[in-house]
Amino acid sequence: MMTYDYDVIVVGGGHAGVEAALAVARMGKTAAIVTMEASKLALMSCNPAIGGIGKSHLVKEIDALGGLMGEAIDATGIQFRRLNLSRGPAVWSTRVQADRIKYNEYVVRFVAAQKNVDVIEGLAGQILADNGRVCGMKTEAGRSVTSRAVIIASGTFLGGLIHIGDKKIRAGRMGEPAAYMLSESLAELGFEIGRLKTGTPPRLDGDTIDWSKCEVQPGEQPLPLFSHRSVREPFEQTPCHLTYTTEATRAIISANFKASPIFSGQIKSTGPRYCPSIEDKFFRFADKPRHQVFLEPEGNGTNEIYPNGFSTALPEKIQYQAVRTLTGLENVRPTRPGYAIEYDYCPAFQVMPSLETRRIKGLFFAGQINGTSGYEEAAGQGLMAGINAVLGIEGEPPFVLDRSEAYIGVMIDDLTTRSTTEPYRLFTSRAEYRLALREDNARDRLYGYAKEHKLIDDNDFVSFVSLQEKTLQEINLLRRKRVRVSEIGKLGDRFQKRESISLEDLLKQPGVTIGDALPILARFDGEFSVDREVLERAAIFIRYRGYVEKQQREIDKFKRMENEKIPEDFDFTAVKGLKQEAFDKFQCFRPVSLGQAGRIEGVTPGDIAVLSVYLKKHKG
Amino acid sequence: MRYGHFLARDGAVIDEIMAVYMPEGRSYTGHDQVEIYCHGGRQVAKMIQDELVAAGARVAEPGEFTRLAFLAGRIDLTRAEAVAEVIESNTDTSFRAARDHLLGGYHNHISQLREALIDIIAEVEASVDYPEEDIDPENRFGLLAQLDVIIANVNELVDTYRGGRIINEGFRIVIGGRPNAGKSSLFNLLLRQERALVTPTPGTTRDYLSEWIELDGFKVNLIDTAGLRQTGGAVEKAGQKSARQILKGANLVIWMVDTTKKSWKRDLGYDLKSLGDTPTMLIGNKIDLLSGAGLKRVKASDAKLIPLSCLTGKGVADLKRAVGSRITDNMPDLTSGVVVTSARHQQKLSKALRSLKAARVKLKKDETPELTAFDLRQAVASIDEITGKIYTEEILGRIFSRFCIGK
Repeated sequence: MMTYDYDVIVVGGGHAGVEAALAVARMGKTAAIVTMEASKLALMSCNPAIGGIGKSHLVKEIDALGGLMGEAIDATGIQFRRLNLSRGPAVWSTRVQADRIKYNEYVVRFVAAQKNVDVIEGLAGQILADNGRVCGMKTEAGRSVTSRAVIIASGTFLGGLIHIGDKKIRAGRMGEPAAYMLSESLAELGFEIGRLKTGTPPRLDGDTIDWSKCEVQPGEQPLPLFSHRSVREPFEQTPCHLTYTTEATRAIISANFKASPIFSGQIKSTGPRYCPSIEDKFFRFADKPRHQVFLEPEGNGTNEIYPNGFSTALPEKIQYQAVRTLTGLENVRPTRPGYAIEYDYCPAFQVMPSLETRRIKGLFFAGQINGTSGYEEAAGQGLMAGINAVLGIEGEPPFVLDRSEAYIGVMIDDLTTRSTTEPYRLFTSRAEYRLALREDNARDRLYGYAKEHKLIDDNDFVSFVSLQEKTLQEINLLRRKRVRVSEIGKLGDRFQKRESISLEDLLKQPGVTIGDALPILARFDGEFSVDREVLERAAIFIRYRGYVEKQQREIDKFKRMENEKIPEDFDFTAVKGLKQEAFDKFQCFRPVSLGQAGRIEGVTPGDIAVLSVYLKKHKG
Repeated sequence: MRYGHFLARDGAVIDEIMAVYMPEGRSYTGHDQVEIYCHGGRQVAKMIQDELVAAGARVAEPGEFTRLAFLAGRIDLTRAEAVAEVIESNTDTSFRAARDHLLGGYHNHISQLREALIDIIAEVEASVDYPEEDIDPENRFGLLAQLDVIIANVNELVDTYRGGRIINEGFRIVIGGRPNAGKSSLFNLLLRQERALVTPTPGTTRDYLSEWIELDGFKVNLIDTAGLRQTGGAVEKAGQKSARQILKGANLVIWMVDTTKKSWKRDLGYDLKSLGDTPTMLIGNKIDLLSGAGLKRVKASDAKLIPLSCLTGKGVADLKRAVGSRITDNMPDLTSGVVVTSARHQQKLSKALRSLKAARVKLKKDETPELTAFDLRQAVASIDEITGKIYTEEILGRIFSRFCIGK
């Protein structure tokens, strides 16, 4: 029996790698993070913020599954906001501006204190596999470390190539070497490798910005924290600012389209449509007069500002000319240039929903290597890969969330059923059961799993169950208690024809929040809970109950299709009557269930009918 | 395509034939397929078929080829259904509607509606997923107007089912009237004069007679209620009830009046009341027995009876013309080729319509967009159940092509 140095090796110390290693450790196994500099764990390579639309839902889910991201940003955030408050609570999204350095330090300290996790400094160069089974990793310098599972979370470092104008630099991040040998090692193992592109804006010296010309965006009180484990006293938040491009910006950038590697043909891979470079914005939307740019502080201990919305790969000199045409930035001093970066990824049809690769047992991929972008997307995958690496070692079935349970499930299902055409980012519109997948109910959805896999304290679970019970009590109470329409002022406008309504009726109305109802609840002499969280959870539950129940039948149907499993070694060539396109797609994506098969692009209901008939005929 | 002879088991030549082999994936059904072309006449075809069966082939079940084609992904659901309709159609109009389905006119129309709907969803979703973008919020009223157009279109489509059903199931004419008014005479007269259609439905029941004829190119289901006594003792109570039901389910009631009876006017007034708002056409029968003055009275009556004699056949042409125009009035415009003839489609479209109306209410009241999106997506899902599609990526694609998104 071979002995291993670690149970799991995690290649890469970014947001995916850290969550992966921590999940492994929490589940009682040993993990080593292989990274070039131990002090750079969970560094924010691009914008200094966590959360935002859809992404915040991921952070809540990561938190509910015992992950670190929520706590880390709660502790080190410098501006807290919730987006979409004018929309319904299903799409409220927390977004927190980070102190970049503090965030990184927090994670470094946390990892250092975590039992069972080591950090190994080095540049991973080769994946060691034997007989289709992973057995460790070798650094470029030649050090071998053995393990039973390996998770690759290499981000933009995998074959990274930075572009600034016509300048090309081999790097994973500005000033840091890229992992080229690792990419070759994956190719040698037989993985198909593709190329994607992303970009980052120049950074600016905040002392040289005329803030009076920019719109201020203050933080929100009370602090909307991500994690229920977090406690943070109110503090003076650092605001963000909003400014705009001008006619002069357009003139400079339009005159220099050809100087950008994005248009010159130097960059061939695709970047994200939702995060275009500034030159791309002026090119594709030529008639839009101006574009907004958010000026986000990188931290409290620095003057550096991140101009969100101004990602560019133009030559340095032109970048700086262009940025000085923004309102309030006339005299700005840039601190470093923006750039585009191309990197390798492995199209995600090569992983299973557990994120384990089909080709090599025990080898997992998480984050940008699967074609995603974003810290939160990466962290969510890292966490799942970590859990599944341990389950694999223990011979347990993998932990897979489905589309009706979590945004994590939506994301991984999208990745494993669609071909990547751009870096993947989560949006709430990707979730067909959006009204049921909310920030407020992440723990309701996932805590059972978290407990089952020992990702959280038992005490934590018990206290959550009590919160659930209290919520249920309030929901019932809100249904029973009635108020006179004449006594609730404007809130009663919609109910003119009725004499009295239940508080449930009141809270069902879109636009009515628990905040609006609090003064009314106060009239009931302490019958209602004073816990704001309990009341808010009850109110949101009431708001969406009808819709969620209406959708339940669809979810049941969806689950039935998910439960029609297709064996891992299923021979699609045996199914007669499949369209060629469907056959090719099935061979490539190897769906694990009929439901998943149906979501693959290009597959028709007819193909599913054929497959379904065949599976039923050959069952057992 | 090959030329040759078809030989029987004993080696005798049955016919000279042409045959074509279509390999798997390139035939209508998607399977290996051979087509044999022989000379006309049922006998030759029958002999060839017998030989094939003797050699181990099986005669296809009705619709089996189309089912195979659907399962092989060669055609989508609407087209598969349309093929079934073409096979089942037995009149000019139903063939035309079915053929248009098959050619995809209907499919295109639904696709266009769906496209327009996804445009609206993209707008609504953009306002949820990109609150920080300075997207000019396409004003709510603009969206409302777009949505109204879609609702009107779906409404229209749902309405065509009234006609579509007539095409598919036939225009139902019930001949009613008091005893001895001449119901059966008219029934038999029309059956004799018009082409009878063979249908799988049993033509006779214990209570009434039912036949199919083609009238003005339309399939007509003619029902004679002669077996039903409209008045009588307790024994016939049950019969009376079913008479009312049959009358109620009619697209048109031809009510026969015996104009030789003195009390016909008074009786008619009473009968019309009980018929309520069922579309009715009144026939003044037995005019051959009337005096000149009597005929004048019939013609001058406010009830606008069509004077007719089942005995001489006088007035039958007028009756048929009137019935033809009644049917035409009930029919949707067939030139567009967009008629819902399937109960399943009608059901899905009605469901979509309900969701669209719910979305409209939310949009009008300016409720939160994730709820409006919910209803709009339900509408698309209902439409997709007709053709079968997945659309999340489409919405995102639409958003990115319309708005400058992203920081």
